[in-house]
Amino acid sequence: MTERILDHSVLGKLDTSPKVSFLFNGKEYEGIENEPIAAALLANGVRTLRRHEESGSPRGIYCNIGHCFECRVTVDGVQGMRACLTPVKDGMVVTGGGQLDAPVRDWRKNNG
Amino acid sequence: MADLIIIGSGPAGLSAGITAAECGLSVLILDEYLKPGGRLLGQLYEEPGGKWWNGIEETRKLEKRAAALDLDIRLGTAVSNIEKEDGLWHVYTDRETFTAPSLLLATGAAESPVAIPGWTLPGVMSVGAAQVMTNVHRVKPGSRGVIIGVSVLSSAIAMELNIAGIDVAAIALPKMNEVNKDGANPAGVMDSLLHVSHMAPSKFVQFGSKLMQNDFMKKLGITFYPKGGVKMWGIPVMLRKAVIEICGTEQVEGVILATVTTNGQVVPGSEQRIDADFVCIAGGLYPLAELIGLTGCPFHHIDELGGYVPLHNEQMETPVDGLYVAGNITGIEGAKVAMSQGVAAALSIARNFGRQGLDDILREAVEYVGETRRKAHIQFHPEVAEGRRKMQQYWEEYEAAQERIAPEEPVVEKEVLQGV
Amino acid sequence: MTDKDMIICRCEEVTYGELVETANEYGCNARELKLRTRAGMGYCGGRTCRNMVDAVACTVTERDSKQVTLKYQPPVRPVHFGDLGAIGHD
Repeated sequence: MTERILDHSVLGKLDTSPKVSFLFNGKEYEGIENEPIAAALLANGVRTLRRHEESGSPRGIYCNIGHCFECRVTVDGVQGMRACLTPVKDGMVVTGGGQLDAPVRDWRKNNG
Repeated sequence: MADLIIIGSGPAGLSAGITAAECGLSVLILDEYLKPGGRLLGQLYEEPGGKWWNGIEETRKLEKRAAALDLDIRLGTAVSNIEKEDGLWHVYTDRETFTAPSLLLATGAAESPVAIPGWTLPGVMSVGAAQVMTNVHRVKPGSRGVIIGVSVLSSAIAMELNIAGIDVAAIALPKMNEVNKDGANPAGVMDSLLHVSHMAPSKFVQFGSKLMQNDFMKKLGITFYPKGGVKMWGIPVMLRKAVIEICGTEQVEGVILATVTTNGQVVPGSEQRIDADFVCIAGGLYPLAELIGLTGCPFHHIDELGGYVPLHNEQMETPVDGLYVAGNITGIEGAKVAMSQGVAAALSIARNFGRQGLDDILREAVEYVGETRRKAHIQFHPEVAEGRRKMQQYWEEYEAAQERIAPEEPVVEKEVLQGV
Repeated sequence: MTDKDMIICRCEEVTYGELVETANEYGCNARELKLRTRAGMGYCGGRTCRNMVDAVACTVTERDSKQVTLKYQPPVRPVHFGDLGAIGHD
């Protein structure tokens, strides 16, 4: 189980206000306003942010600074947003992409 | 229109922006991240003498100076392309297009991975990702982790995780293969760590200092290196164990460790599984050159600087007119070096803009970069000074070649930009 | 999972086995290796795997130290088609 580091021996206490609530894949979560979506989800124990479009393998944050795009999600209808650098806001609707249909490939697999 | 656009608000970009504004230039700083500070933000270590280097505090100091100068810093703004037309740089972002006669690229570094079976599982992240999650966002990357890759960077971050109360079960090598080579070689890793033994805890130094003497002793050292590792801050540093697989179905559940020979070959039958809910991949940093790669600026591959580095001189000028660099894009070094490079770059830019009386302080600023490098607490590559010397030599060769082509007229820019 | 099936390019799911086999079969440099396998051609633009693709290519070819082995192309961040085509967009 993941958790927040509320009191750090060098960095001090964490300010956890103001709280916001947002949706990820239809479920409601609580976060701290303007923290990255990925941090808010990890604090809630959510690691899987999307599935690979072709294989469906689960993916989560990898680089956490916007380089790898592994954490890309749809935020309020906009695709390809990086959860690691998009600030979470109250009422945000976030969805992680899933495996996509690939009729040609599947047809080949079964008939080729 | 600004006089200068800086891409990257890390230690180099912010310092440059401050200095340029102090010289009277109008400056625009762009960064795709949600906070200024770049990789400086996550840094947290104790310096000799017991004072803490706190990246968040250091960033705050820079931010304060920037605010006092009314610097225009646009965060959450990702640059997708840059082009030069009629002596002006056009910087295309996901928000708008910006234009300026001078451009400073302070885009920093990216992490290079090592590849381990299972490394796409959720819970596997770059070591820098764990650092940012822990120190900047204050969320634990997990409750028990394993770090793959033994280096100055990974041991520093292991310590940071430790301070935050996160259990690090082990720091071990990656399994040897065609892509992990150097980082998977116990003797090589031992050698590079001994060069920075001044920052390792006493136990490691005691063990290591005897081995510095000669190659025979080094070989002996790695042969007899304890299989259970040498503990620093209570974390076993394993130079004779490699992670050969990351286990889990939906997310990380553990790793498989195996004993390796002094050359990094897995000893069959030595495999053991340990539980973990997160894994950090530490393959080192490389200069992030994607934007400067679009300008036609020449490159040189210099191992000591971390990979392909844009050609530049000590004044942080590139051969492309109006294009400058500072920070880790010029080679992997610490934040203090990056800041000093930012100052030097800004002074160069102001001087080339026609500001008078800057020659002396520019010379001092360049000297200060060297001094900062010599005093650096953390050196990512033991031979970084040699890497810098090579770059300077390439610059001189380039300049000499240009003079042979056209002793009067600077043809550099035209020639270079045609290649885009 | 074997090393052969280990993913190198996370975006395009190109495996270590595919890269090593392709490099050995064609003796190719990094660019050719990328074009043959699609490693480094996915969503992230190769930022994550470029050094590993480069390393595989360097087992069969000599590194050109004066030229970036995997050339950078704009856009270096994904751009929405809407933004590309937008009229009157700044």
